[in-house]
Amino acid sequence: MSYPQPHPRFSVLSSSSLSSAEHLSPAGSSARFSLPSAPSINTSVNTPKPGFRPNIYDRNLNKSRTSEVSAAAFAFLFSEVVQYTQKRVTGIADLERRLNTLGYRVGTRVFELMIWRNESSSKMPKREIRFLPALMLIHTQVWKAAFGKPADAIEKSVENADEYMIIDNDPPLTRNVSVPRDMSQLSCSSFSAGIVEAVLDGLGFPARVTAHNTPTDTLPNRTTILIKLERLVLEREEAMKQ
Amino acid sequence: MSHHLFLLSPSDTPLYELTHYSSKPAQMTTSPLASNLPSWSTSAFAGTLSALSGAQGATQTHTQGGPVRIGGGKDRHVIQMIANASLDVIEEVMRKENTMYLKSVDKFNEWTISAFITPGNMKFVLLHETRNDEGIKSFFNDIWELYVKTMMNPFHTAHTPIRSAVFDTRVRASAKKYL
Repeated sequence: MSYPQPHPRFSVLSSSSLSSAEHLSPAGSSARFSLPSAPSINTSVNTPKPGFRPNIYDRNLNKSRTSEVSAAAFAFLFSEVVQYTQKRVTGIADLERRLNTLGYRVGTRVFELMIWRNESSSKMPKREIRFLPALMLIHTQVWKAAFGKPADAIEKSVENADEYMIIDNDPPLTRNVSVPRDMSQLSCSSFSAGIVEAVLDGLGFPARVTAHNTPTDTLPNRTTILIKLERLVLEREEAMKQ
Repeated sequence: MSHHLFLLSPSDTPLYELTHYSSKPAQMTTSPLASNLPSWSTSAFAGTLSALSGAQGATQTHTQGGPVRIGGGKDRHVIQMIANASLDVIEEVMRKENTMYLKSVDKFNEWTISAFITPGNMKFVLLHETRNDEGIKSFFNDIWELYVKTMMNPFHTAHTPIRSAVFDTRVRASAKKYL
């Protein structure tokens, strides 16, 4: 890959390296050296001792509730995830399956944490037991928790009663992914499909979830997450109607 | 009086278990089944049998001599069996009830079984002898928070037994507080 400009990572490195920082901003460097003799109140109280790591059970689960991850950093991480996975697979189907598995691991955590944040303070924490409300929950809340915006549509297949679709017109996850022409069936949203599968599994709606590119003229990134429910789910839903 | 807690993975693997003895006295209840049971103290299954029938902690003399405490469902394997047997009822109830806390889903002799189902389908099963809905609810809520913290750890999977000493300490502290 060639970059028209100097590599962004290099520019970050050079501006933060010691020599240039001292050279460019003498004020900054003097602050650096005055720190040990006059520590500010904030740092002296909260800085843990070196080598001390807080226990995971001491951390507050709501601490990072409103914080957001940099889209650029995430795009970089996701590109590494896809590259790492691609080196270890035999074909597109295999690659999608592995991305799905990775998404599944994320999904179980995202969902449990999201529900905990919403429900743990309520008197009677609830779980979803019907399929359609569960699908709505994924479409709005899970999508918001994971991607910062709700998905764009839910559709039910006309031909197959066991198929439902969640549609995202521009998934933030794959906004920076450009799939080569010879791998055009590949959808990196398999990762999101894994998240959906984990949520459905947790709630007791086992399903096979896959991702497909369904571009339109105005929405080239449009992606459909296809949910194919197992038969027992449909039978149970049918029984609960009565 | 004792409480027994089991954390079961979505595939029903036990991940963590705890026995908590509280200082509160237990009321003695004799189940009708117990009185009909012949005294099979020589049988190898005597402990299990009398425990399952609900015979209360009488000390019986074993064939070899020494007093063996039998009954009251205090044997480890009997407790585990009762907890696992309740899973059928729990799975049935959790399809109909949309609350995570399922109180008193099942009863077995002196044991009442309450459960808590997390959104990720982890099951917390608690065997208790007295009614204490509010306390148990708060206890389950504490366990849930601890469990969410555990599963945020990337090295934890849904099937990894929880061996953290801190987790154990926290659960015990919560049990002391609420049960």
